[in-house]
Amino acid sequence: MLLNRNSSGKRWHLRPDGVGKVTGQLQYLTDMTLPDMIHGRVLRSSYPYARILSIDITGAEAMEGVFAVLTSKDVPGLNLFGIATPDQPVFCEDVVRYIGDAIAAVAADSPERAALALDAIRIEYEEWTPLDSPEAAMAPGAPELHEHGPGNVLHRTEIKRGNVEEGFAACEHIVSETYYTPRQMHAYMETEGGLFVPDENGRLHVYAATQHGYKDRMQLARIIGCSEEDIRVISSPIGGSFGGKDELNVQPYGALLALRCGRPVKMHNSRKESVRAGLKRHPMKIEMQTGISREGMIQAHRVRITADTGAYATLGAPVLNFCTEHCLGPYSIPNVDVEGVSVYTNNGVSGEFRGFGGNQAIFAIEGQMDRLAEIMNMDPWEFRRRNMREKSDPGPLNQRILVTDGLSQVWEAMDRSELWQKHLHPPADPALPPWIKRGVGAAIAMHGAGLGYGIPDPAGGRLSLNAEGKIEVAFSYEEFGQGLIATLEMMLCDLFHCSTSDLSIIIGDTDRVPHSGSSTASRSTTMAWMALQRLQAPFRSKILSVASTLSGIPADELITGIEGVWRKDQLSPEVTANEPTMNSKVLVSYVDLAKHGEAEEWIFDTQFEYPTTPDNVVGGHYLYTYAAVAAEVEVNTLTGEAKLLDTRHVVAAGPVINPMGFIGQIEGGSVMALGFTLTEDAVMQDSRYTTTNLDTYLIPTIRDIHTNLEVEAIEDLPEGDPFGPRGIGEIGSVALAPAITAAIHQATGVWVNRLPVPRDQLIKPLSVSLQEGVSSS
Amino acid sequence: MTEPLSNFWTAVVNGEKKQLHIAQTTRLVDVLRSHLNLTGTKVSCEVGRCGACMVLMNGEPVNSCLVMAYQCAGSEITTIEGLLGEKEGELHPIQQAFVEEGGFQCGYCTPGMVISTKALLDRNPQPSQEQIETGLCGNLCRCTGYGGILRAVNKVIDERDRVGSTP
Ligand code: FES
Ligand code: FES
Repeated sequence: MLLNRNSSGKRWHLRPDGVGKVTGQLQYLTDMTLPDMIHGRVLRSSYPYARILSIDITGAEAMEGVFAVLTSKDVPGLNLFGIATPDQPVFCEDVVRYIGDAIAAVAADSPERAALALDAIRIEYEEWTPLDSPEAAMAPGAPELHEHGPGNVLHRTEIKRGNVEEGFAACEHIVSETYYTPRQMHAYMETEGGLFVPDENGRLHVYAATQHGYKDRMQLARIIGCSEEDIRVISSPIGGSFGGKDELNVQPYGALLALRCGRPVKMHNSRKESVRAGLKRHPMKIEMQTGISREGMIQAHRVRITADTGAYATLGAPVLNFCTEHCLGPYSIPNVDVEGVSVYTNNGVSGEFRGFGGNQAIFAIEGQMDRLAEIMNMDPWEFRRRNMREKSDPGPLNQRILVTDGLSQVWEAMDRSELWQKHLHPPADPALPPWIKRGVGAAIAMHGAGLGYGIPDPAGGRLSLNAEGKIEVAFSYEEFGQGLIATLEMMLCDLFHCSTSDLSIIIGDTDRVPHSGSSTASRSTTMAWMALQRLQAPFRSKILSVASTLSGIPADELITGIEGVWRKDQLSPEVTANEPTMNSKVLVSYVDLAKHGEAEEWIFDTQFEYPTTPDNVVGGHYLYTYAAVAAEVEVNTLTGEAKLLDTRHVVAAGPVINPMGFIGQIEGGSVMALGFTLTEDAVMQDSRYTTTNLDTYLIPTIRDIHTNLEVEAIEDLPEGDPFGPRGIGEIGSVALAPAITAAIHQATGVWVNRLPVPRDQLIKPLSVSLQEGVSSS
Repeated sequence: MTEPLSNFWTAVVNGEKKQLHIAQTTRLVDVLRSHLNLTGTKVSCEVGRCGACMVLMNGEPVNSCLVMAYQCAGSEITTIEGLLGEKEGELHPIQQAFVEEGGFQCGYCTPGMVISTKALLDRNPQPSQEQIETGLCGNLCRCTGYGGILRAVNKVIDERDRVGSTP
């Protein structure tokens, strides 16, 4: 189904957080203030790699209006953080490893005064030459950034099967290419920050964005040396994250300062500081050799992935796992030899980012497919189909995966699409000047959801009838823009035929929600759906049985609906949230029900794990979302500018719960991928950022987008599928780059292997452009 | 240290006269967010690129991170909080369209985007697609991909057409 407002009909659901957002009334956590609050700031390293010889804070401490100056000595607990591998110091003590490393923090009565106090801190360094690339870091004799073993290696991955040497020997053609991808910045509009409030009972209230409040709480407790219950984390609403706020950022400093000063402390990073300290997408170098038989069947695939993980681990290892898994694409390949390495450097820290390493891998594997198809003189889509995995084949890691038709469905839907059909007759417009070239390209992807086998991936949730008579759900997921609250509303209205005013939705507050995992890896919608599937039956039967007792009508004649429980025969089955049936009235209201019995009787909890493959393959996924993307691109061969004119995304992710949210996620992901492909790179020179703000780091503006963006959703799932809607938070962002570069190739004949697309590669001398214009007309 | 020079600053903010004792080099964005607690105006890049801090100054859109208090003293400032619908409690038609078309996700760019849309449509009620793009290219949105935003702006224009053409 082509997804848009018209095709969505009544499912076009207005977001409950809409009014607050369009009026500016909604308070983000960085908007919060308290009367007696003070302001925190962090002093970061002057060098990407250096020994700290001395730190003198006396000048800053003596300043009027300065409440506290903290260094590593003031960390009561563990002076380290990191969501998986805590190796990043809260405050560096002896060595700094990147330009965002924190050495001290101050709290003062104004942000300006806090900044002045930072200037008054004296630090002596012994400057060292930074390891500014994985190659430099792995070179023999390079200093070791962590006590981690030789060569500054954070993590290695490997997939080997068959025999690639023999496979290549039997090949008719082999394509070898090295692909490079940029250090993309999340560029969420709201930079990191929040308010840290100690209360009179010694508890700390943390109002700061994160994708996993419980994980933050655990890490903060470890740093402060207190119990987790001593901390409450309130973590929504969030002004964008895309994976970038999953790690702690300002929280350790805000928390420690607030506790030291006994006053609320506000932190809010400037954009420059956010760039300097924040996570980025892993820049990767992916070398690929792929060989095919005379018939065009892939026989052998050798891949070497090198990821620059920067100064600290964060999720570098799982990102590399994901990239490794996805660099085989959805293809069946008998002989495989993949090795990945994630390397510590003195560059900015790379971590989690929408797509999670899939973007880099899919750019490379799909690039190979197009190159191979060209050598075969075969249609690139047909070439893919020949090599595509069968639906019952094991997954990329030879693990069992859930069988669906998603892959062939997206392939076929794209094959039929008008946009992709254009590639057969490259769109040449005689009205265009000869230096303007157009082309169409497409790419396909299977993208795993959830954290994968062997990584704890808990889920759960709570459903209750609260004291006010609202159907209440509570999850530890976060709203960072994706529309989770709206989706939850829709799921609940679907389940209970109630209206949104019967609901109370609670997320993002560790005091009020059960531990149900993180909002990452495109998993929240699936997890919430699965939780509600488990909770609905006991919850409903409790409601109906109490309603039956109160009304004297047998429970099987009752049904939940708007405002309460109805007689089935008085509530037409198609009643929806917006259309209460006339001529009938609610039998027992939720408010009356809630007065009945103890509050605890109305609470239902569930705990479970995200579904993973039954096979012992670390990181292996079980559920995948499938997508195909086509792109029409126009290249100006005089300026080297490539412009995306038209795109179509076909996504097979199961039922669309929330069409507005679905379209928004695909559109947003697609435009983020456009930036990844054409303009975005947080450039580092000698391990320092040269692009420090949004004036030089160029994310797409409204002028740069493809206004023809169509989203086609394939909603089929196997009969009785117990997992419901699959995640789509990432799938819109993973396959556009290779589609664009394929289109660029059709337009210009240039194979691009580096992102963002280097303009100089697309520039042709005027004489050539004109000649081509003549010969093609 | 010495206190920065400060004296009285007055302006009309969202129709109300405001008088503050602040340094004349305070940025308008800080006047609004910190001194007047009007946090609907957002701060993101602080170099005039993202438009999150967009407000109207005497009807013209300005990046409030680039305007100093002394530059806007005596002006009439409209922030997102000052954008009102026709009737009490109603959304402005631009805001309404953003809600209906899903012209936001995280919402952090939204106030600035709505203000820029207002400025655009005030000056040019019938902008072409290209004029819309020019009018809004000073506002960055990282979430929506701009699709919903464009649909919202077009909806406002269409609605006006429709209402305008009925006698
Ligand atoms: S904060 Fe003013 S333009 Fe970005
Ligand atoms: S809605 Fe998040 S930046 Fe625009």
